[in-house]
Amino acid sequence: MNPANLLTVNPLREGITNRLAPEPCTLVIFGATGDLTHRKLIPALYNLAAEGALPPAINIIGFARREKSSDEFRAELEASARKFSRTALNEDLWKSFAASITYHQSSFDDLEGYKSLATAMEEADQQHGTRGNRLYYLAVAPDQFPVILANVRESGLSSAKEGSWSRVIVEKPFGTDLKSAQALNTLVNEVFAESDTYRIDHYLGKETAQNIMVMRFANSIFESLWNSNHIDHVQITAVEPLGVEGRAGYYDKSGAMRDMVQNHLLQLLTLTAMEPPTSLGADAIRDEKVKVLRSLRPLKGDDVFKHVVRAQYTAGLINGQPVPGYREAEGVPQGSTTETYVALQVNIDNWRWAGVPFFIRTAKRMPKGGSEIAITFKSVPKVLFNQKDENLEQNVLVIRIQPDEGISLRMSAKRPGSSLRIEQVKMDFHYGTSFGKATPEAYERLLLDAMSGDATLFARRDEVEEAWAFVDAIEEAWKTRSDDLAFHSAGSWGPSEATALAARHGVIWRRI
Amino acid sequence: MSFIPGIPVPIGGIEKALGKLWEESGESKTRASLINLAIYSEADDSLEKNQAVIQGIAGEHAMRSLLIQANPEAPGSSAEAWISMNCYLRGAKGGEVCSEQVSFQLCGEAARSLQSVVFSHLDSDLPLILWWQADFRSPIDCKLWRWVDRLLFDSQTWSHLREQFELVEKIASITEARTILCDLNWTRSFPLRQAIAGIFDASCALPELQFLKTLQIDHAPGYRTTALLLVGWLADRLGWRLTIESEHPQFQDARGNSIAVSFRETAGKSISRVHLESVSAKFEVTREANSDIFLITASGEHFGCAPRSLRAPREETSELLLLELSRSSQHALYRNAATIIKPLWE
Repeated sequence: MNPANLLTVNPLREGITNRLAPEPCTLVIFGATGDLTHRKLIPALYNLAAEGALPPAINIIGFARREKSSDEFRAELEASARKFSRTALNEDLWKSFAASITYHQSSFDDLEGYKSLATAMEEADQQHGTRGNRLYYLAVAPDQFPVILANVRESGLSSAKEGSWSRVIVEKPFGTDLKSAQALNTLVNEVFAESDTYRIDHYLGKETAQNIMVMRFANSIFESLWNSNHIDHVQITAVEPLGVEGRAGYYDKSGAMRDMVQNHLLQLLTLTAMEPPTSLGADAIRDEKVKVLRSLRPLKGDDVFKHVVRAQYTAGLINGQPVPGYREAEGVPQGSTTETYVALQVNIDNWRWAGVPFFIRTAKRMPKGGSEIAITFKSVPKVLFNQKDENLEQNVLVIRIQPDEGISLRMSAKRPGSSLRIEQVKMDFHYGTSFGKATPEAYERLLLDAMSGDATLFARRDEVEEAWAFVDAIEEAWKTRSDDLAFHSAGSWGPSEATALAARHGVIWRRI
Repeated sequence: MSFIPGIPVPIGGIEKALGKLWEESGESKTRASLINLAIYSEADDSLEKNQAVIQGIAGEHAMRSLLIQANPEAPGSSAEAWISMNCYLRGAKGGEVCSEQVSFQLCGEAARSLQSVVFSHLDSDLPLILWWQADFRSPIDCKLWRWVDRLLFDSQTWSHLREQFELVEKIASITEARTILCDLNWTRSFPLRQAIAGIFDASCALPELQFLKTLQIDHAPGYRTTALLLVGWLADRLGWRLTIESEHPQFQDARGNSIAVSFRETAGKSISRVHLESVSAKFEVTREANSDIFLITASGEHFGCAPRSLRAPREETSELLLLELSRSSQHALYRNAATIIKPLWE
């Protein structure tokens, strides 16, 4: 063989897939015995393997403290995959996939454990052709990050050999405030370059979130209306009927603002409000998203109490069943003032959105759950059909993120009959109805993207920090008072203060 | 006709009757449609068979289906139509989602006038996908094919391969590439092509592609064209040139090395085994008759690749159609592959 003429690209790949090919690699999961690994990561990897979407050479190493053999580890994962995979588990396929999984026992603070991991990975490179590429998944609580990252660096695991790469996937929360996020980002970036850091917000892996850009920029009818000339206001909602469900320890320190607004909801806001990017490249898109965050009018001091409502649920009824209030939930400190409901009215100070209020709302223990973005268009002029006694409803375009992902448009139509009566009708597009097939789990898409080096659906450092800067100012103001904390009963649609906040702009919160 | 594909309706009253059908179904059913899928066949029992195919995919691909059983050689002209809905339950709490189906039995002149009789019943503004299950005939009806966004056919069913492929080429030139041509026989080979391509994603296997010397394919009776298309694909992608046109053809690669190709007819899946051999390694994709996975092996001296097995689709018509509709590929490589193996047809 003449090495000079050797193939470097697989010519058989053309026409088979239309996405960036994931590259051979070793995936190390720190926290491999945890819930995330069992419920999400392994089922996602199994489905990717079964569909032939994983790179041909992949070596999956579970890194955790508990003593167990690789066989025991694989058996545990098989049981989880059987339970949580979106497709039925096939014995042969599982065996073929599981052959690439091993377990590496070590405590996170034992440098020797990382050194032996390095040796194991080098052997795997030789054996499986994983080319020295490394993908580290931090599926652990953030307080474990420093010790893991320090040891990863110390043992040389983060340094990629020439022609190889070394990447890290970080799960949210990305800090608890700007300072801790900066510290965390600095810590991560001391070990991994920003371009090798993949911060997962699984909301961005959802089909509808990805479809926001397609809807906006692949349809000429929407983009020309997508501005303050035509849009009256925007409501972004993510609510759920569940309470804290055993997460009180985390949730009471976090609250709805940090748990949902700082990441998921501000991500949805940026996708809704961003300018068209110059390309579909990860940084081109993230540049535009960051510009939106930088254009958010900061809420500080007294402004916070005019524009933000925080509340907590008390005992009430969900689906006809009594549920305790937040303070009565197991693990919640007595007299906690943590917010379980937040409603904000924000402004984006740029040309496109000048004067358009954005309303953001998230809550636990609502009568029903769902996430959506609702764009309400301006009323038609008060002539012809919109005179005093008619009062036409405004057009509303709703992008449903979950459940029942889809898009609907509310519009006016004449009710058949001899008199002129106008009714609201809804044009409705449901992903499930039109495309039927079960969509892949967000984690499948995100894991493949990380292996392919496509960071589009991951949060960049400046995105995270800008979001924290905005949220921190609100949290700071909240620290100065506690009498603004409102209460609403579980199963209601929130406190009257939130109703009043919207009403000041002539807006009514949507019933989702 | 013993099989009744729905409620009989006059051709001129199809839309009205469909509207009435929806009205009577109340609010429990949701109408859904992404495409118009017309299936044209000249087989006597095609309405029943194609209805079963549509029912197999309606849950995953919402559409208005137009099933046409035609006898263009019959004297005179007659046209009958039936309407029905294909419904499935959506989610645990969701109601039924339904796709409309219109079935036609056309004879004589009516069978030769698809545009006026059938295509006047398309769901407007949605793409038209036409699956032509009959032989293409000369002269080509330019007006008919220009209507079609995606033309499906299955070269596995052709008895005169060369003649049919030339007619397909003519259709392609008439429609000026506006119509996407989809040979379901090419789609049938897709999962296998994916499996083979996957083997050579591994850096240890990739160099071997340039040193292949043997290609053996086991295929089921009647699936030689599927095997040939697979050969055409490999030849196109690897720059092989056909040097010996025979039952066991031979190709030459860019370095002048020969590649011997052999076929073996054997019961089982359409393609049950593909064996590739280079100077120093052997690769094999096999699929047992009752298995729904591709078993993939690689071996050789100092060879470290261990390919993974993959899920293989069921070999049912509805599954094949679903694969084609879901991928919506442009099939850019198909014509290259088909052109390379053209001398081996018939």
